[in-house]
Amino acid sequence: MTTFVARRLRNGSAALLAVLAIGAGVYLYHLALRDTSFLTGWLLVAAFVTLAAYNARKKLPFIPLARSASWLQLHAWLGLVTVAVFLMHAGLTWPTGVLDTLLWLLFVGLLASGIFGLLISRLAPRALTGHGERILFERIPGFRAELAREVEELATASVRELGSGTIASYYSRRLRPFFARPRHLLRHLAGSAAPVRRLQRELRALHRYLSDDGRATVDEIEDRVVAKDNLDFQYAWQGLLKGWLFTHIPLTYAAGIVTVVHIVFVYAFASSSP
Amino acid sequence: MVESTAIARPQRWDRPFGPDMTDVDVEEVLEQPLFRDIDPGQFPDSLPLREIIRNDTRVRHFAPGDVIVREGDYGNSMFVIIRGRVRVVTDGVDDAELGRRVRKRPRTLFQALKQLWANDDQPEVRDISTYFHGTRNLDLRGEADDARMYLEDVEAFLRQHETVPLDDGAPFGEIAALARSPRTATAVAETATDVVELRWQGLRDIRRRDAGFREHIDGLYRERSLAQHLREAPLFAHLDDGVIEEIARHTSFETHGAFEWFRDFKKVKGDDPSAVLRQEPVVAGQDHYLDGLIMIRSGFARISERLDQGERTTGYAAQNDVFGLEEIVRHVRHGEPLTFRRSLRAIGSLDILRVPTTLVERHVLPNVPAALLPDSDADADAEAPAWLEQCTDLGLPQSLVDFFVDERTINGRATMLIDTDRCTACDDCVRACAAAHNNNPRFKRHGAIHDGVQVTNACMHCADPVCLIGCPTGAIHRHESGAVIIDDATCIGCATCANACPYDNISMVEIRDSAGEFIVDQQTQQPIVKATKCDLCYEQLGGPACERACPHDALVRIDMHDHRALAAWVNRK
Repeated sequence: MTTFVARRLRNGSAALLAVLAIGAGVYLYHLALRDTSFLTGWLLVAAFVTLAAYNARKKLPFIPLARSASWLQLHAWLGLVTVAVFLMHAGLTWPTGVLDTLLWLLFVGLLASGIFGLLISRLAPRALTGHGERILFERIPGFRAELAREVEELATASVRELGSGTIASYYSRRLRPFFARPRHLLRHLAGSAAPVRRLQRELRALHRYLSDDGRATVDEIEDRVVAKDNLDFQYAWQGLLKGWLFTHIPLTYAAGIVTVVHIVFVYAFASSSP
Repeated sequence: MVESTAIARPQRWDRPFGPDMTDVDVEEVLEQPLFRDIDPGQFPDSLPLREIIRNDTRVRHFAPGDVIVREGDYGNSMFVIIRGRVRVVTDGVDDAELGRRVRKRPRTLFQALKQLWANDDQPEVRDISTYFHGTRNLDLRGEADDARMYLEDVEAFLRQHETVPLDDGAPFGEIAALARSPRTATAVAETATDVVELRWQGLRDIRRRDAGFREHIDGLYRERSLAQHLREAPLFAHLDDGVIEEIARHTSFETHGAFEWFRDFKKVKGDDPSAVLRQEPVVAGQDHYLDGLIMIRSGFARISERLDQGERTTGYAAQNDVFGLEEIVRHVRHGEPLTFRRSLRAIGSLDILRVPTTLVERHVLPNVPAALLPDSDADADAEAPAWLEQCTDLGLPQSLVDFFVDERTINGRATMLIDTDRCTACDDCVRACAAAHNNNPRFKRHGAIHDGVQVTNACMHCADPVCLIGCPTGAIHRHESGAVIIDDATCIGCATCANACPYDNISMVEIRDSAGEFIVDQQTQQPIVKATKCDLCYEQLGGPACERACPHDALVRIDMHDHRALAAWVNRK
């Protein structure tokens, strides 16, 4: 079985060779005094269709169209080759017309969201594995509601059974909002555990005002705070993993449409070009 | 002090095989030729012969045409005919003749594509017109454990096949019961037939205590199967028939562990490792005299060595693996002591063949290809692990090996493992599975995680598929592709398989029609349930959809016995 490092080297080398070969071809085309923009343009279209075909492959899991992992490798490396072809096509200058600017922005958006998706696809799983139990995304709201219900019961029971309002008061001010919905999502994405540590400090600070039973209740609540924090962590990262595609795929469709319009315009006005 | 809950200690026969066995039945069974000569005096007071017969046998009545056992069923009992005639089919029976509507070959490209628009929107939709009732020479009678298929026209069936008749007093099915292997032939009642069925536990106890019974049963096994089993093993495959026969005559057949290991395992699963280890009887102890080469016939074993106060797992063994070969080679070549360097422990039910060391030295070592022999020149002590965290024998992290063995994951031939360091939880695997199964996912992306490896709740298509034991209609069976599959048409929803699966990988579902309405029992109006599980996409083009759909190379279906592939997958990072 090929290691990931070996595969990266192999595919990276192939992509580099492809860029060099395309570059050489375009250069020879240029030496022949031909308009290279048509060549690079159609190369871009071909690359775009191949890249978009990955989504179609996902819709056909029962057809033997190579493994999805192989398609993703092709998608990622061909995406990088496409950047080089795009630069050969559009150059390094800012586009002039509205349509070209739009297409340029869409392409950059696709590239940025693709690279972002690739990065978080590699980074997020390790973060999730290293941060407590992995939980199915769809189950997170249910678990959160369960924790919220348990903490509310502990807080109300403390009033009834311990005759103390300290825990209930803290609960209504600080914990009820915390358990009400996902919290500190950006902090989780940034790797910060400061919010949960703060809550833990505050809970432990209550110990001095409570009986032994009250302290035991606070410890139970603290366990649930940590569990809820893990749910938020899972929610933030898994949500990001699921959400980035909502940028990448609409951009693909938009770029596809604008590309068609671009091609129509190019050919409509090609005869008037020198 | 909290008072403990007291219950009567569970006893050997809390669940008799046939709860309706009367004294008359017991007498009748003991009069059968196979049991007639057994001396009851050899049995201890705690385990009298009469009680074994009362609790471990049952008398079953079959009508003409009833299918008693099917080829391919997993055996856990043997039969003796009391009266009547049974026909054993010797030329094989097609799945369709047994009511299974199982696809032999994968779909065509068009059939595969058709799933794009033909999959149902509702969950668990079934087309009941494909069920066999009234459409074939086959039907079902009885319920639950007593359910059986029957041939409506047994005469026609027998005319189409080559069969061997068995009459009063004849035993059959002993090989499968003894070796925990699939039934090799289908047996059908030709006339009204009464048989006594002896379950595995009783067979074991009588065989252990009565020499005559043991010789008779083992004789049948030697005559019919042992030589063939030896020939199947690479180590013996090159020997000529005469030598094989000689080795077979001197080889002992042993069973270790519990036949229904999955019941005890469920109780200690995920528990203290020492509790798991206590369930694994030692077959060969470290430093004990090596009296014979051990060849695993079926089941699994843990290979371990003592380390401080515990046992360190160094590997595991399964069917056709041998244990003790390296020691014999070292003994012959270097004069090292003839003792086991490591221990072999039965995981679940383990059947072994013990080939006398002298025969191995005389016949096997001089002739075996060098590639099949271990490297005996390496210093044995130098092979000791340099680090506790790495299992050098398998090339895997030690804790992962312990986890796989403790969790019995090693049973899997197509275990679904997910690398959680790469899995983005995109659920493409689940969607692909659903798309390939009429929009019903056949696994849960969930399961125990250890060292970044998740053993997912998907059927592992076990080497020892305990789910097959006891299926009254043979609906769950091993497909010729190797996958363990359930034939929906013959499944009666008894949940025997789901209850037996130690890994909770079989689900019972309520089936619906295409409008989404539950399909109900005509009599009770209760929904019909069916067992469902992963079928390894045996009818899809290209293999398991889940594995092919994973974009991040996180998911694999792997044969846990293929140590090299497993190590390569784990270590590819």
